[in-house]
Amino acid sequence: MSKHGITRRKVLRNGAGVMAATAVGAPMVHAQGTSGSLRFAFWDHWVPGGNDALKELAQRFGEQNRINMTVDFINTTGNQLQLTIAAQAQSRSGHDGISLLPWDPGTYADQLEPCDDVMQRLSAKYGPVNPVAEFLAKRGGHWRGVPATAGTQAKPACVRFDLMKQHAGIDVREMWPAANRAGPGADRWTWDTFLTAAEACHKAGVPFGLPMGQFTDAVDWVGAVFLGYGARVTDERGNPTIRNNAELRQAIDYLVRLSRFLPNDVWAWDDASNNRALISGRSALIFNPPSAWAVAKRDAPQVAENCWTIPMPAGPKGRFLAYLPYVTGIWSFGRNKTAAKAFLEFITQRENAELCVNKSQGYDIPPFLSMSDFKAWETEGPPVGTIFNYPLKAHHQATYSIAFSPAPPELAQQMYLQALNTKVVARIAQGGESVESALGWLEREINNMRRGG
Amino acid sequence: MADGGAATLPRMDAPGGASLKRFARRRSTIAFLMTLPLIAVIGGLVVWPAGYAIHLATLNRRMTSFIGLGNFEILLESETFRMVIFQSVFFAITAVILKAAIGFWLAHMLHHIPANGQRKWRGMLLVPWVIPPALSTLGWWWMFEPTYSSINWILNIFAIPSVPWLGEPWWARISVIIVNVWYGAPFFMIMYLAALKSVPEQLYEAAAIDGATSWQRLRYVTLPMMRNIISITVLFSLIVTFANYDIVRVLTNGGPRDLTHVFASYAFQVGILAGNIPRGAAVSLFMFPILAIIAFFVLRGVNRRNKEEA
Amino acid sequence: MSATTAPAQQGIYHKAGSLRSERRWALWTAYLSLIVSAIIMLAPPVYMLLTSLKTSAEVADQSGSPWWVSNPTLENYWALLGNRMFIDFFLNSAKVTIAVVALTMVISVLAAFALGRMRFWGSQALATGVFLTYLVPDTLLFIPLYQIVGGLGLLDNAWGLVLVYPTLTVPFCTWIMIGYFASIPKELDEAALIDGANWMQMLWKIFIPVALPGIIAATIFAFTVSWAAFVYPTAFITTPSEMPMTIGVVSQLIRGDTFAWGQLMAGALLAALPPVVIYAFLMDYYIAGLTAGATKG
Repeated sequence: MSKHGITRRKVLRNGAGVMAATAVGAPMVHAQGTSGSLRFAFWDHWVPGGNDALKELAQRFGEQNRINMTVDFINTTGNQLQLTIAAQAQSRSGHDGISLLPWDPGTYADQLEPCDDVMQRLSAKYGPVNPVAEFLAKRGGHWRGVPATAGTQAKPACVRFDLMKQHAGIDVREMWPAANRAGPGADRWTWDTFLTAAEACHKAGVPFGLPMGQFTDAVDWVGAVFLGYGARVTDERGNPTIRNNAELRQAIDYLVRLSRFLPNDVWAWDDASNNRALISGRSALIFNPPSAWAVAKRDAPQVAENCWTIPMPAGPKGRFLAYLPYVTGIWSFGRNKTAAKAFLEFITQRENAELCVNKSQGYDIPPFLSMSDFKAWETEGPPVGTIFNYPLKAHHQATYSIAFSPAPPELAQQMYLQALNTKVVARIAQGGESVESALGWLEREINNMRRGG
Repeated sequence: MADGGAATLPRMDAPGGASLKRFARRRSTIAFLMTLPLIAVIGGLVVWPAGYAIHLATLNRRMTSFIGLGNFEILLESETFRMVIFQSVFFAITAVILKAAIGFWLAHMLHHIPANGQRKWRGMLLVPWVIPPALSTLGWWWMFEPTYSSINWILNIFAIPSVPWLGEPWWARISVIIVNVWYGAPFFMIMYLAALKSVPEQLYEAAAIDGATSWQRLRYVTLPMMRNIISITVLFSLIVTFANYDIVRVLTNGGPRDLTHVFASYAFQVGILAGNIPRGAAVSLFMFPILAIIAFFVLRGVNRRNKEEA
Repeated sequence: MSATTAPAQQGIYHKAGSLRSERRWALWTAYLSLIVSAIIMLAPPVYMLLTSLKTSAEVADQSGSPWWVSNPTLENYWALLGNRMFIDFFLNSAKVTIAVVALTMVISVLAAFALGRMRFWGSQALATGVFLTYLVPDTLLFIPLYQIVGGLGLLDNAWGLVLVYPTLTVPFCTWIMIGYFASIPKELDEAALIDGANWMQMLWKIFIPVALPGIIAATIFAFTVSWAAFVYPTAFITTPSEMPMTIGVVSQLIRGDTFAWGQLMAGALLAALPPVVIYAFLMDYYIAGLTAGATKG
């Protein structure tokens, strides 16, 4: 995009931005809004400089439409973003639009402005949306927000290829080269292989840094393991499916075995601990978007040069890639909803999504499947191609996934926040409970969540 | 103390007379007006919210219908919550005992050294109490951080293996207690020091002449003289420790596996973060009976002492 | 005669000698425990200070001792002082604290005077009530207050904190002040009344000057409590621009994986500075405020 201000007409022609616009255009937005101002709260990016894209886009949008834009960035450390969402929903005041975490659009559906019109136009232009994002953003047949580019992430394996080769004898760069094909041995990249490698690296003093605590990184990757084994804790209606569930036992059994080869305090790790483990050079593998690598590039270059991102291993029921989509929602109590919708439509345009991807050094994954061909993932380095396999590619033969699907959102929200999947493993592996009693606990806990609704 | 204040009053308007009576009537009106802001604060910000909490706790998640004691029932049936009860009690009692013991010891040691050096030591030892606990806990968190722990670094020098401070449940519980004791012990120290100074020196001299050992002096002179202040400080601290929130929030956020949650942090987690306000209110109301019992003992202690002194 | 007293004297000397050596031992034990405990008590703030003087690279580097700074730098402090958000935290804290302290002192001095010196119907019960209120912790009230403050539209607003902080400060300050006012000899007000002073004049001209040490102690208490308050701001404030120091530092300066520990520790120390400075200069009042309740009550 050209650097200088883009005239409104050009924007209209591009179909970008203020579309509703076709007829009404920016002045309309301006006239309708009480103060001609918009306040958005976005997830605070973990990649250094990752917020710049949205700042730039907001400024451009504001100038073009003579709207006074304010953009706040709220981080998820200590659940700050979750608290903000809850407080604003509670007090029915705050930002016009806000980044929502995976299960929020369903939970707060009745307070969110439907965005069907925006999504209809965007889909007409860019094709289908990632099915997981669609599942999470839709409630009662309506889009409760616009799936976001900025912040939306997958959690494949970020591997220290040097350590992996040295200690586990696996050459991940050969297995998953920076090309649209699987290398030799990719078909053997399963959870069983993974377990052997975890053991080898544990012995060598560079254990895999896989969090087992209560934050999203932990819940997400454990969720992907569950799905890989076909394990579900509830059905679509929220009824527990725990008794006589062979797949669930298999998945839990696997995780318990794996956890023996992890550092002994992973049970208390937060979303940053795994990044620190990698950056400090003490870990051979983590499941994370490229933020850890991006920070290492700045603070510990010798680590970054030896990182290679590859898909998650496959289980008996397939390969699932943990995916954490953000959805930007517009509060129904906001005063400037038309302009807010126009802004969301503007930032989701292909060239603007690419700006987000570039500024975040490849971290962001756009919701539209047609946008998985940006150059950034091929060119980012060092080493060049390190995040080629970060977004899901056809040859990975994998599916994006979210933990606790297909439970209904209100229940899934609580299970997700309370991290039931990592806790059930922790009760067995760390707490020494039997599988029976841990599963009994899980079922009672789910039933308690469903009661008093 | 409240009673002490009131006790001086009755004799004030002893001299009779019509004008004085009128004055007294006016006086009570003025006095009432002067306490009105206080009554407004207590009524509007303590009594009313407390009553409202009880109301909230009887609603369902969406706050649309009345479910009576349903939330309490669900909580009591949940193992996680029963564990929270255990942890709150364990945390509060252990931490208070340690704080009282360490505070008592330090006050004693401080009392022993020459008076001109006491101020300096007292100043240094009180520093943990002065720093807002949420902020000093950040420092502790950084000292406990698994990869970079500076405490483990020191332990390793003495060939002691690294401790998973926040990762292993019992260590995490101990860590929370350590931080709380570190923060609270100076307060006990300062209270006990004030009390020690009020014990007449003659009593010790008399005891020494009778040939009392230092243990006997402690047992038969110091402790009886400090009984009241010890009990009041302990009861106060029990309340504050039971209701503690910031240390758990910053240090462990309840993890691992919710095992370090106390009432307050769990109420926050359930009520505000997971958006189930009624159930969160129910969680924090569980603190109430404990507080009531403590308040009863404190009041009884204060009253009894006032009677003894009178 | 002399023959019989000699052994007795010896006995006394012997006793005195052991007493002296006992005293010496006690002194040594006292100094030893004070030194050990001072090291433990001061280690966290010292380590925070050391970390705040390190660059991110030095924090991340694990080759040296974590208790040593090889290249001390003030860059973390400069970065914070140049950060608009951090300045806002400070201003919010200052704004809220000053308003709360003023409000608290007016409410509690008036009420304590009325309760301590002017008996009226129900004053006893009210004094006990104030005492009991102090026993109700903020963590019991934050959920209903969240609803109430939200209903008033004051969530996410620093002024909302000014509304709720008095629950933390007013009961204790009133309680301290009742004690101070009660300890003033009753002849003072009798004399004033005979001179024809009204109650407000009496409070203003006689009692406040006499009870000044108590007022200073109560003010310091109110200040430190409002500065350090954590539960209410965590629950009620989510926008960085409205956050006071405590929650601002804890929630905004923690940057997951970017080793901003130096800056985080610098922020925590700067935030802790005002109470520490007050403490350093007014330690005796501070301690008087702390102990007032318990020693008198």
